[in-house]
Amino acid sequence: MSSEALVAAFTLLAFGIIVAGVAFGSAVGDGIVASKAVEAISRQPEARPNIMTFMFLGVGVLEAFPIIGLGLAFYMLLVVANVPAMLAKMAGH
Amino acid sequence: MNEKLGEHTLWHLPVLGAVHADTIVTTWIVMALALAFFAWIGASYRSAYQTKRQIVVEGVVNYIADLATSTLGPRGEPFVPFFIALFVFIFLLNQFGVLPFKALGLPFGGSPTADLNTTVPLALLVFFMTWIVGFRYNGIKQFAHLAKPNPLLLPFNLLDELVRPVTLAARLFFNIFVGELLFIIVASIVVAHVMIGPVNLSLAVTIVPFFIQFFNFFVGTVQAFVFTLLAIVYLSLAIGESH
Repeated sequence: MSSEALVAAFTLLAFGIIVAGVAFGSAVGDGIVASKAVEAISRQPEARPNIMTFMFLGVGVLEAFPIIGLGLAFYMLLVVANVPAMLAKMAGH
Repeated sequence: MNEKLGEHTLWHLPVLGAVHADTIVTTWIVMALALAFFAWIGASYRSAYQTKRQIVVEGVVNYIADLATSTLGPRGEPFVPFFIALFVFIFLLNQFGVLPFKALGLPFGGSPTADLNTTVPLALLVFFMTWIVGFRYNGIKQFAHLAKPNPLLLPFNLLDELVRPVTLAARLFFNIFVGELLFIIVASIVVAHVMIGPVNLSLAVTIVPFFIQFFNFFVGTVQAFVFTLLAIVYLSLAIGESH
């Protein structure tokens, strides 16, 4: 196996791990926020607009970190180790 | 496929060298649109009747004004126009990327907030505004709250202050940028004619870009709101009565 193939393989592996962690963490976090919001609304239905505002605020603040992780993963995949170009070069010969 | 992704990455990368002309031109266009829009709204106040557009705009303005005054107290009233301008400007910058001017070959288009050169100055604006306003309200005591619970916590408080503009800028930038990147990646799958066995994957994901654009609209609105609200919270930490 050439060193380029190793770099491409490990970059793709790291990309997969990052995406898995990002999806897992943000899904769990958003689920907690949404379930607490539903609980709060069912306990106090008249405070619904206020609760929805703060739910969206919390989701917006929380969602930044998985998005930043995903952005850095894409930066690694497409810029640091340009995997599409690497794969096209390997398929060429 | 590679060409399109590479073009997008290169369009973003030369941060060190040349000025991003498309970002600047798009920001100017958005500024002109916002000014024209509010001039149009303001002109409708000459008649005695309340129009529908007044009600819509007053809803947004009242919402942010209530948020600012309830968080900041009476001290926050002079800053309400700033927060309204911040929200409307970031919202328009985020949503301008939906229009495909860049794909038509025009020198502008795309969201200017998908560029760190736009989000870092906005975050620095909020950072310096909170410090200068806090200094004007509290004088030299503004720096005393860095060592508030205990002077040993000074480095951590300093780090907390300095990390705020970084996260503020990175949050807005990455949300908008990754939204555009996801759109381009799915679009490149659509044009690449990927076949997985008998299934035409490209045909199957043709509908996905519409959902991604809908998601981007939602994210752009929420992030503009989050930016404004965090600016309000940071200002309230600087000049709030609790200090």
